[in-house]
Amino acid sequence: MDFIFLQLAGFGAAFVALVVDPLTYAYLIISVFLGITFGALPGLTATLAVTILTGFFGNKIPLDYSLIALLGAYVGAIYGGSYPSILLNIPGTAASAATAMDGHPLAKAGRGGEALGLTTTASFIGTLIGTVALLIFVWVLLLLSQNIASPEKALLALFGILLSGTLMSEDLVIKGWISGLIGLAMAMVGLDPLLSEPRYTFGWSYMLSGFQVVPVLMGAFAVPQIIDGLRHMNVGQMVALQGRILPNLAAVRRYMPTISRSGVIGTGVGALPGVGEDVAGWVSYGVGKTVSKEGDKFGKGSLEGLLSSETANNACIGGALIPLLVLGIPGSPPAAALMGAFKINNVIPGPTIDPEIILRVVAIMVLASFTMFVLGLFTAKFFIKILRIPQTVFLPIVMVLTAIGSFSVGGGINDLYLMLGVGFVAYFMNMMKYPIAPLVIGVILGGLFDETFRRSLFLSDGSLGLFVSRPGAAVLLALNIALIAAQIPMLKRGFARLRGKEV
Amino acid sequence: MNSPTEQEILRARDFWGAIVLFFLSVFFLWRTSFIPLFGQNRAGVSGADWYNSAALVPFGIFGALLVLSLVLMNISIKAGGARLALTRVGIGWNRSEALRFSTLALILFFYIVGLVPRVDFIIGSGLLITGLIYGYHGGRSDRMILVTLIVAIAGLYALAAHLPRSEWKAHDDDWVALVLWFGLTLWVLATNRQDRVARAIPIIAILAPTLLVLAMAFGFRQNVPNRSGLLFSQIEYHYFVNIKPLWSR
Repeated sequence: MDFIFLQLAGFGAAFVALVVDPLTYAYLIISVFLGITFGALPGLTATLAVTILTGFFGNKIPLDYSLIALLGAYVGAIYGGSYPSILLNIPGTAASAATAMDGHPLAKAGRGGEALGLTTTASFIGTLIGTVALLIFVWVLLLLSQNIASPEKALLALFGILLSGTLMSEDLVIKGWISGLIGLAMAMVGLDPLLSEPRYTFGWSYMLSGFQVVPVLMGAFAVPQIIDGLRHMNVGQMVALQGRILPNLAAVRRYMPTISRSGVIGTGVGALPGVGEDVAGWVSYGVGKTVSKEGDKFGKGSLEGLLSSETANNACIGGALIPLLVLGIPGSPPAAALMGAFKINNVIPGPTIDPEIILRVVAIMVLASFTMFVLGLFTAKFFIKILRIPQTVFLPIVMVLTAIGSFSVGGGINDLYLMLGVGFVAYFMNMMKYPIAPLVIGVILGGLFDETFRRSLFLSDGSLGLFVSRPGAAVLLALNIALIAAQIPMLKRGFARLRGKEV
Repeated sequence: MNSPTEQEILRARDFWGAIVLFFLSVFFLWRTSFIPLFGQNRAGVSGADWYNSAALVPFGIFGALLVLSLVLMNISIKAGGARLALTRVGIGWNRSEALRFSTLALILFFYIVGLVPRVDFIIGSGLLITGLIYGYHGGRSDRMILVTLIVAIAGLYALAAHLPRSEWKAHDDDWVALVLWFGLTLWVLATNRQDRVARAIPIIAILAPTLLVLAMAFGFRQNVPNRSGLLFSQIEYHYFVNIKPLWSR
């Protein structure tokens, strides 16, 4: 009980410290506003918003303000994606794809204002549910993770890469794994962490420091988005907004069970490494359709369907921060970008993280969700006007932002070359349906995997038995093997036969 | 002939992807063999044991990539990817898609490699913004080719005239880019008087990079590209000599 009071007191102190600082509001309002704008413009995503701001703020402002800006943009962008989904039937972000299913029919039926008001409320409640889960579970997991040593860390890093590769693949699962392995291979460039042996530098001194996180993030997430956005023009017919954008409290009360369930689903999906808000939205939508008494109305303008996806994608944010803060494994692509920001500020997420930072993250999330709610309700008409700006006007500015951001954090032209190279590779990988998030997670976790794996072998004098003699390591090893085995066709057929299913 | 399904296109491309991955993983396995694995001596100092070698994890990664490339090739061949690999399906895009991508790739290449290191950031970025909005808003191929040529001329001049780092401070490439930017802007305004987007281009192209570079350099005290650029050097000089002393006294 004392522990709970201690954490609540810590959270209260962090919250008050933020609330009394006027700069908090300046960063919050600007970043949430920018986030909603990025989310509202089809072609710009939450990951892009967080990545660009990471490059823009870098490590030159205090970490607290940097976190306010990045988390504010993250929360705002996931919510902002609902605007074009509802009014244009084009998801602003992948996370809002399910929202379009019911949001657009509602707008066409003259209920666009009501839909936007409910979406704002559901996103607000969803973010708070995810944040409360973050506050509770992060401590439970942190206490458990105190026993994590090098063997477990190595296997966890591998598990994070494999799981994100498995879950993020749109086409073949091995494409996700290949993407993760390419990321791991990129992390091997430079001086190795134990013996300082140069690897794959090809005599280029710049490569001795390895691939920097920010240029890789910019290249992997921003450059393909810019090229793709300029190549394909998303043109949609906007539905005129009818009705007042106010939260329909009667509907909120009526659908509270849906909102609560979707919040829990979103948080749970977010906690899976690398999965993200789009999967959360669809999973919650699917569950909602299955369990609802009015499931047949889903896709035809159902408020329940709208609330299912919108609550879950925002709840996913808090969930995605749990593995990031506890294990150092990002729960979603924007969380991977956030991890880049932590790294350039010399904060290592994982079991050794300063607990104060977690409390500040929770306090920022609460403030960001309130800011999003207020901005969403009172400035919605402005964001609707933004929707009329074509992406061919915005994307060139994003390109300039990307260039200056990547240069400023690394401080060198070489980082720009790296960004461009990674960008073109990521573009072709995207085109061939290789997921990009596992690559970024591989780059981020590669150093940790290499160092902890070899350190484990060093401690055991080369005996691999260490990975099975420690209970935690044995469980993680089994999970890794099960994850791979589950994709082998012969074993898949065997499991199906065991379950009595024909293949 | 029926048009190919998305899956057929993907499998044909997977065939090429698997070949590239195969050769890359073999190449990097060979390069990894240069890193001591079994504790060889290096410059008279005894190396580490095999289990601590810097080559251990890379061998695992590239070995796994090699295996996965073979699995991918197998999947692709079974699904008819090899059969379609040399057809239009496997090789890729239609003419207009290829034009869009290649012009964009060239513009980004000349901007990042030619202009950003050597030309004033405001001028180079203004030219880029003007070119990208004019070239790609509306999807007309003649515009794309025109702006690619203009950005390529500016970038090529900067690269050819001032390739080494020691020459990046020169200003003649700044003037070339500025003249090209000015000329393109005039062309855009003269040929598209009725278009609201075209009328907004000069404002966006001047304001966006200027505000960005000022915010980065003086607001967040970040490093910005080409501090000695034609415009930025003047802005920086007047900021420190005339403006900053007003509140520093």
